[in-house]
Amino acid sequence: MILAPEVLAILILNSIFLLFSLVAFVLSVRIFIKWDMSATTQEQYGLEKQSFLAATIIKYIFAIKLPLFLFFVFTLDKISTLLTGAMCGAGVVDATDYGSYLLILKLMNLYLFGFWLTLHYLDIKSPNLPYTRLKFEFFIVAFLFLLVEIVLEGVMFGSIDIDKMVSCCGTLYSSSSTSAISGIFSIDTTVMLTLFYGNFLFMVIFYMMRYQYLFAISNLAFIVVALISLIQFFGTYIYELPTHHCPFCFLQSDYYFVGYLIYSLLFLGTFYGMRVGVVKMLDEDRGKGFKLSMIFNGVYVVLVTAYPIFYFIRNGVWL
Amino acid sequence: MKNNLNLYLIEFAINALLRAKSKNIFILVVFTLLTALLTAVFLITGSIKHELQSTVDALPQITVQKIKAGRHYDIDTSVADEILTIAGVSEAVPRVWGYYYFENAGVNFSVVGIEQYEAQYKDSFAKLVEKFDFEELSSQSSMVVGRGVKEVMSSSYYKEYFNFIKPDGSLKKVTVAGVFDGDTELESNDMILMSKEDVREIFDMQEGKATDIVVKVPNPEEVTTVASKIKLMYPDTRVISSTDLKISYQNIFDYKSGVFLALFVVALFTFFMIIYDKASGLSSEEKREIGILKAIGWRVDDILKEKFYESFILSFLAYLFGILSAFGFVYLLQAPLLREIFVGYSQLKTSFELPFVFEIQTLFLVFFLSVPIYIAATIIPSWRAATLEVDEVIR
Repeated sequence: MILAPEVLAILILNSIFLLFSLVAFVLSVRIFIKWDMSATTQEQYGLEKQSFLAATIIKYIFAIKLPLFLFFVFTLDKISTLLTGAMCGAGVVDATDYGSYLLILKLMNLYLFGFWLTLHYLDIKSPNLPYTRLKFEFFIVAFLFLLVEIVLEGVMFGSIDIDKMVSCCGTLYSSSSTSAISGIFSIDTTVMLTLFYGNFLFMVIFYMMRYQYLFAISNLAFIVVALISLIQFFGTYIYELPTHHCPFCFLQSDYYFVGYLIYSLLFLGTFYGMRVGVVKMLDEDRGKGFKLSMIFNGVYVVLVTAYPIFYFIRNGVWL
Repeated sequence: MKNNLNLYLIEFAINALLRAKSKNIFILVVFTLLTALLTAVFLITGSIKHELQSTVDALPQITVQKIKAGRHYDIDTSVADEILTIAGVSEAVPRVWGYYYFENAGVNFSVVGIEQYEAQYKDSFAKLVEKFDFEELSSQSSMVVGRGVKEVMSSSYYKEYFNFIKPDGSLKKVTVAGVFDGDTELESNDMILMSKEDVREIFDMQEGKATDIVVKVPNPEEVTTVASKIKLMYPDTRVISSTDLKISYQNIFDYKSGVFLALFVVALFTFFMIIYDKASGLSSEEKREIGILKAIGWRVDDILKEKFYESFILSFLAYLFGILSAFGFVYLLQAPLLREIFVGYSQLKTSFELPFVFEIQTLFLVFFLSVPIYIAATIIPSWRAATLEVDEVIR
């Protein structure tokens, strides 16, 4: 157990989330069961009022969770100095069995809450609230994920053993390692890069053609491809070190915290991209997400491409 | 996402805050005090940690102590020569030092022995050696003392000299030759420097023995390897590297501020309840106001938004004031009272300065512990207010 103030702050906020999301969950279930837009009963009127409370709570949780995620990543980095062997967040994530799941779950929940907000704005824009039932149904599912995340986070911080030796990112992400991550090193670099830029090219084409579903799917694929290529190829140019593949180290001050920018761009871009698909599913034809998605993804691609190119210009060789 | 800021709504929120002046000023003051207290604790721990870690940085990389029956024991000085043969070691210096308990004032002095023509393991000592000749001091049996030591001695009327009581009960009179300032006050305040022979005499330590041995390893990458080699050569020693020390400092201070925060949760919770209560109790004036707003066409969402602006402005102001006053309290006033929680081991009760250390993470940490909690407390009351029935409140 680590009693660092950062960890405690996260746990305190988690307990507030738990309390409030529980309220929102109860309201959601009630609305989901009894919602009837055409009814003129006292009950329906009360439900409409309660939907505002639930929506406000969910908005609140999302608004805090977003910066708190960055703070969480920062905390991982900070407590890595306490663990023997860890040099960045990777060591802390790997210190327990739950770390990597927690990280993935946290990201997924951010996407889920973001989609919920999209649904919410579409809902309250229309006077007859067409998606109210749907959005609370959606929240019931999202709540379960949130619950798992909060429990997992408590368990993870509780089970970190300061005296136990953990692995450093150098071994976790080395190409010779036998862990699951080593699978991605078997992919050839040219194949990898073709996939990466090909995926982006398709995204641009779908953007021009306004194929919403295909655009959303290409964004979903882009998360995976971009992360793998970041670990396998682009990361080494950020470190200017052919053997270092860690996706956490560039979050540190030595690399001017560039990781926060890289990940924000990637996740914002793909979020807006997938949002296009969600909006399409509801037959609301609006292309606003398209542009934002293209901007963020475009800047991401330019940024990660700039690292190898500048390296080549300065040194005249590829890594 | 449509999140355009509505400036008129913000203006309205500010005016609404000003209208309920006395209530909001009360909340602002209490909340400012809370955030200031919290920030001050983090700033103090940050400063002390910085001070201690810079002390560690000034030290040699490895300290070797002899352990006998689980206790610290004097080590042979010949061990230092053996350690010097390990590749990568640039210096190995046997140290002669100890704590002298001065019963009259109830304090421990750190008595450190210095040899004039020896490599000094600390920069501050090297400077001292240039200033004072310890060979000469030894022949006159005199010493150089830290500022804090000097004060303690003067208050016991030892202005010119000090009588050390040796283990056999006899006295050793040592005159004060001068006062020195260290790089950091924490390390130098309780320190007395004299020649090694005098220290040996005061502590009744044999010639050829030392308290411990410090080892300098210029390449930081080699420290761990050298430490394990020493451990292999002398299994009866405890080998402490400076990284070990740093981690344990980090742990201690994380633990201290963690415990404080854990206790502080109670205060936060109480505050949460007070805000919840305050925000719930709407006066008939405010109810009428909301009724009129809704009657002229404000939606529930608009009122909720306005209420959110109100609580955000109030809590963010309190956060800013809290941070600023904490900075003033800690660095201008040197944190009276609060500091005592964090400084207090076998040290002279010293008056060291807290160095200015600014870590941006502290700001984020305090932010997450203040603003979201206040806003959370106002969610349900705001919703209650926003969904009031128009006809009921205006009637």
